[in-house]
Amino acid sequence: MPVPEVAERFTGSVNRLTLGATKDDGGTRTSTVTVGGARNVVYGGSAADTGEKAVIAMDVLDSKPEDWPDVLLEPYKNVLDSPGDWAKMCVEEFGADLICVKFDGIHPDKNDKDAAHAVKVTEEVLKAVGVPLVLWGCGYDEKDNQVMPKVSGAAKGEKCLIGTVTEDNYKSLTAIAVADGHYLITHAPLDINIAKQINILASDMGFPLERIVTFQATGALGYGIEYAYSIQERQRIAALTGDKMMAMPVICDVGYESWRAKEAKLTDAPGWGDPADRGPTWETATAICLLQAGVDIIRMRHPRAVATVKNFINKVWT
Amino acid sequence: MEESKKKKKKKKFTVRFEPSGLKIKVPAGTVLLEAAHKTGIYLSSICGGDGYCGKCKVIINEGQFKSKPTALLTPDETRENVVLACQTKILSDMTITVPKSHTLETSQILMDTDAQRFSELAGEVREGIFEFDPLVRKIFVEMSPPTVHDHTADHERLYLAIREQIDAPIMQTGFRVLQKLPKLLQSCDYKVTVTIGRRGETTEVIEVEAGNHHERNFAVAVDLGTTTVVAHLTDLTKVATIDTEATYNSQINFGEDYIRRIIYAEENDAFDEMQNRIVHDVNNLIVTLATRQKIDLQEITTVIFAGNTAMIHFLLNLDPTRIRREPYIASAGFVPPIRAAEAGIQINKRGLLYCLPSVAAYVGSDIVAGVLTTRIFTKKGISLFADIGTNGEVVLGNQDWLVCASSSAGPAFEGSGVKHGMRAGAGAIEKLTILDDGSFELKIIGNTHPVGICGSGLLDTLAELFINGIIDRTGRFNPNGQPRLTEGDEGWQFQIAPAGNEHQEIVITQADINNLVRSKAGVFAAIRVLMESTQTKLEDLDAVYLAGGFGNFLNVRQAVTIGMLPDVPLEKIQFVGNTSIAGAKTVMLSRKALKAAEKIAKSMTYFDLMSHQGYMEEFTKANFLPHTDLSLFPSVKSVKCKT
Amino acid sequence: MALTGLDIFKLLPKTNCKKCGMPTCLAFAMALAQKRTKLEDCPDVSEEAKEKLAAASAPPMRKVVFGTQDNQVQIGQETVMFRHEEKFYNPTVLAVTVSDKLTGKDLTKRIEAVNALQFERIGIKIGARAIALVNDSGSPESFAQAAAAVKDSGDLALILVTQSPDAMAAAVAKTKESVPLLASATPDTAEKMAKIAKENGCPIVAKADSIDALADLTEKIKAEGLEDIVLNLQTQNLRDQLLNLSKMRALALKKVFRPLGYPTISFVTDGDADTQVASAISLICKYAGIVVLDTVEAYALLPMLTAVMNIFTDPQKPVQVEPKVYRIGEPNENSPMMFTTNFSLTYYTVESDVEASRVPSYILVVDTEGTSVLTAYSGDKLNEKTVADAMTKYGVEDLVKHRKLIIPGYVAVMSGKIEEATNWEVMVGPRECSMLPKFLQEVWN
Repeated sequence: MPVPEVAERFTGSVNRLTLGATKDDGGTRTSTVTVGGARNVVYGGSAADTGEKAVIAMDVLDSKPEDWPDVLLEPYKNVLDSPGDWAKMCVEEFGADLICVKFDGIHPDKNDKDAAHAVKVTEEVLKAVGVPLVLWGCGYDEKDNQVMPKVSGAAKGEKCLIGTVTEDNYKSLTAIAVADGHYLITHAPLDINIAKQINILASDMGFPLERIVTFQATGALGYGIEYAYSIQERQRIAALTGDKMMAMPVICDVGYESWRAKEAKLTDAPGWGDPADRGPTWETATAICLLQAGVDIIRMRHPRAVATVKNFINKVWT
Repeated sequence: MEESKKKKKKKKFTVRFEPSGLKIKVPAGTVLLEAAHKTGIYLSSICGGDGYCGKCKVIINEGQFKSKPTALLTPDETRENVVLACQTKILSDMTITVPKSHTLETSQILMDTDAQRFSELAGEVREGIFEFDPLVRKIFVEMSPPTVHDHTADHERLYLAIREQIDAPIMQTGFRVLQKLPKLLQSCDYKVTVTIGRRGETTEVIEVEAGNHHERNFAVAVDLGTTTVVAHLTDLTKVATIDTEATYNSQINFGEDYIRRIIYAEENDAFDEMQNRIVHDVNNLIVTLATRQKIDLQEITTVIFAGNTAMIHFLLNLDPTRIRREPYIASAGFVPPIRAAEAGIQINKRGLLYCLPSVAAYVGSDIVAGVLTTRIFTKKGISLFADIGTNGEVVLGNQDWLVCASSSAGPAFEGSGVKHGMRAGAGAIEKLTILDDGSFELKIIGNTHPVGICGSGLLDTLAELFINGIIDRTGRFNPNGQPRLTEGDEGWQFQIAPAGNEHQEIVITQADINNLVRSKAGVFAAIRVLMESTQTKLEDLDAVYLAGGFGNFLNVRQAVTIGMLPDVPLEKIQFVGNTSIAGAKTVMLSRKALKAAEKIAKSMTYFDLMSHQGYMEEFTKANFLPHTDLSLFPSVKSVKCKT
Repeated sequence: MALTGLDIFKLLPKTNCKKCGMPTCLAFAMALAQKRTKLEDCPDVSEEAKEKLAAASAPPMRKVVFGTQDNQVQIGQETVMFRHEEKFYNPTVLAVTVSDKLTGKDLTKRIEAVNALQFERIGIKIGARAIALVNDSGSPESFAQAAAAVKDSGDLALILVTQSPDAMAAAVAKTKESVPLLASATPDTAEKMAKIAKENGCPIVAKADSIDALADLTEKIKAEGLEDIVLNLQTQNLRDQLLNLSKMRALALKKVFRPLGYPTISFVTDGDADTQVASAISLICKYAGIVVLDTVEAYALLPMLTAVMNIFTDPQKPVQVEPKVYRIGEPNENSPMMFTTNFSLTYYTVESDVEASRVPSYILVVDTEGTSVLTAYSGDKLNEKTVADAMTKYGVEDLVKHRKLIIPGYVAVMSGKIEEATNWEVMVGPRECSMLPKFLQEVWN
């Protein structure tokens, strides 16, 4: 019996965008990263439809992390106080495609550090590594509005990915990001419609849609990952069917979410295996699962997980 | 311990209300609002004592009390001993001053402007779509008196004579009428006016009177709304609406939506009170209409009701409690005709009370009336009907099928729950345009000073703020460079009209806008669910009917701009006003129309949105201006963005 | 292709007679389209309608069952490509290999290691569900012997993996009461393997190296009178496996191509445990009915099993959060205590506004079956009793010294009853969550 043709063709595709500006492009990056471009669902269609390989952005915190489990601290124990060295280690030793500077330390409930500190960290990391940067605020609106525009300015012209902006708080950072030539992360709380709404709002302010990356509050494996999973699948289908407001590449925060899971950090759980294995595996599993739904940039933390996921990406996205 | 504490009798205190001087004795700890209600003093309250509407402010002159903290009072007010009556417990004898602003807003009779404009809408009967055959009619019967050859008994003689004029295969007569019949017939030489009423397939001889009065036959149709009650007085012999009236539903003190009222009634065993309130409102309307038109109440032989299922239950004191609980059922959907007097309605004491049939607990006879009026059940093409009342009910269908749903849209477009919202009455801003220079053009009902904003004005406000970039697509104010935007007690507020000598400033607050956007989102989400479930595409819609008490000058374009109605060519959209009452009138005038209404009610398929898994998502999509899926609103062009 | 409610409605008598127990014919049709009712409930349906509906409702992918009693597993019967379109029905079965080269103690140890791969997550037991006994020895006798051992001491369903019909026949003879899955029949061994499967009432795996060959093979096996088939496509690498599983799924579901209308099995038996985790999870997500693993590391199985659990949850159930007390910031005995419902949207809105207030607080989540505050209250799922019960159950009294409960503004009306039921003082919070920061900062303090 002849097997019928089944490959589905789509009219739309995921936007392709290139992060990082090299010298020729007016920046100081030594490499760029291109993401997006898929023209079919994950594993659908032909090889040409797959788009760019997914990339890994490794987290570097602006201040020494306070609540990381030992297994996660171990690889970075000598660089935790120096974001520049930390970033360098991630790129040179662990093969990070991007560095995500996460400004946890500016949060009023954490270290409440000021804009000057954030600018200094940004400059340090820019100097230490040549890969493109992701610049990620602390999530406290008022403080982000004070600090992130300065961070944006410190990296002006570098074509960083900066965020996040929400429906409640999008105006100031969107305006700055467009002026400084960055890419913007729009952020919605696990709701595909709100995700689209925030893109429309940014677009209403004149922010070009093709410079947006979307972020759905990721859930770790075992902690609501299925919602993020389905939202991403739906977002991909929307992009393919021509919805310009949903055609953005997707970033997910696997590092933070998976290391919050008790399966990753609980030390006393004999039936679950050695915590030294369990944590990185939980991070790996979370990242792999989201990759099946179509993500473009994965924020990660543990080098072992990064290695496994990179290996998987290389096997499947050749 | 616990037991003995409970059994201990609570101390009682006297509360005196000024300026009326009315007093009441209540147990310690009684809530002030409750005490006021028991005394018969009506304090405004639209939240039913929940402590969020802030309307039940009173001043404490003397006495001990305990008030819960609230953000609804200014520091000045707190200093002056102003409290929210619903949040205050009585701890001693007290004297209270009730501010003037409370005086019986709810029992005030309003001129109903919609009603006037749409009073012609029982046109179906006049156009002959439904033949004229009123549910209750008076006929003049001239019988030849009995002779030795014609010795048919009086009662049967009457039947024969009636059947010469009308089709009435099954008849019955009340015992009292039967008893008085012989003497009456003899006294007037067998020339009588008979009032006959249709009760299903049976025709009842309701009344027999000497002489010819058949031209004096009147009926009242009532739209029993959760927020407002509208009555039309109709001359049954001329098929004409003579006069109209409307009033606020005085149950509103027990909650702004009927679910709250059901809960209140259930918890306080206040079903009688609920019935009394609504019956009182209806009687008030009837008496006002009759007096104005110099009609004797005895000449009103019919009263007919259309309304949501809960209101009909309250009216007849049927158990409404299962309406709110799974599996959400009504006590009766098809209410048989009863004697109006049995429900306490003051018309002819033997006059009949009819209710239009309803579909489900959450889709009442008002919606059946809407379908009947718009005649979407007779059309080949698909029509959409949306009735924006306290709930937003939506019907989609054609001659083959009808589907319906109810969104708890809330009464925002009725002006309730909006700071300066009001019904379409004198002083209501019914139309608003923002001119190119940023100034506002207002049209006010009665050409007087502005008092508030009615439904059509609110629709305009939302649309105009949006297309002028004063709010973003989520409805949030864009604070930059807006001189009219100030920070009030409840966050940002935007000035619609400045204060004048005789009137306060009219504003729209951020909370009002959120409320309006949610309302419209509820309606549109219901529309989407019905369209998706029946694979109805936008271009399949032949007609869209918008019903509701918005006011006179509803601009249907604005309803599309904000994303409440689907973006079809404007000529397909028709604003049809209060179709609940129009349908009630049609039924009152034609037995065929009643049959049609029954068939509609039986064939409508109800979608329960609460359990419908796609509804919440549609709601989120619609909770945006005009909608998250911009391609659904191609005619709503991009917005000026002021940042 | 599935019929819509309206399609079915057109086939019904349209009398709205209510004899089916539904209010209207359209309601019945829509229930039928969602498989919530049976056509037989309509007493007046025509023969023509019956035929059309039966044709449309045949499942595009067959269900395959193996194992017995508590060990029975079922796979297949999937209807959609993406879980959000409906749901995924039968969770991927994770199987772990046991080699027939092992004997005696080693064999027992391995079987026990596989048996032990059982966990509990949020009160639900999850674990490896099958043992794949592999005929590495090449000897029918060893295979049969090991099969008997697995049958005796294994707690799980059995998959017999061998290319040799003789080995298969020998092993099946010892294990047929446990209804093992026979893996595999190839184009060369199809008749023989099919015969063994048929005689012993076992399902069979069809294995080939291309989709075309696989389609031919299943037709051949079907011709032998077997219906319970599982597909195994041999590929060079993981990438091809994933791409082809997607293609086969689409052929089965979208084209209703019957020769591929069966569940699938994939083998992940090389690489270290981390690599197996990555490969297995991709296969779980993208359409493997069974994944056969080599690792017995608990740390590797737990995330795979969790992935199965997550991906196969019903996306149409309202999104709920676990009812309990949530700590926002670092609350202490003087911090505010408020409650909301377990509808996740409601909870997360409250949570984010409480976070924004920066007042460390407790949020008590009351189980209202995933409904929002107003809906729950309207429907009597949120009342003073459910609140009081939740307060007791989650030990609210021990968390704070004060006895003040903040309740949502929308249900201010419950104040009195809650005070009576709990003896706590009620403070009415704002109706709009966005006012919570102001409330906590100004009214609470």
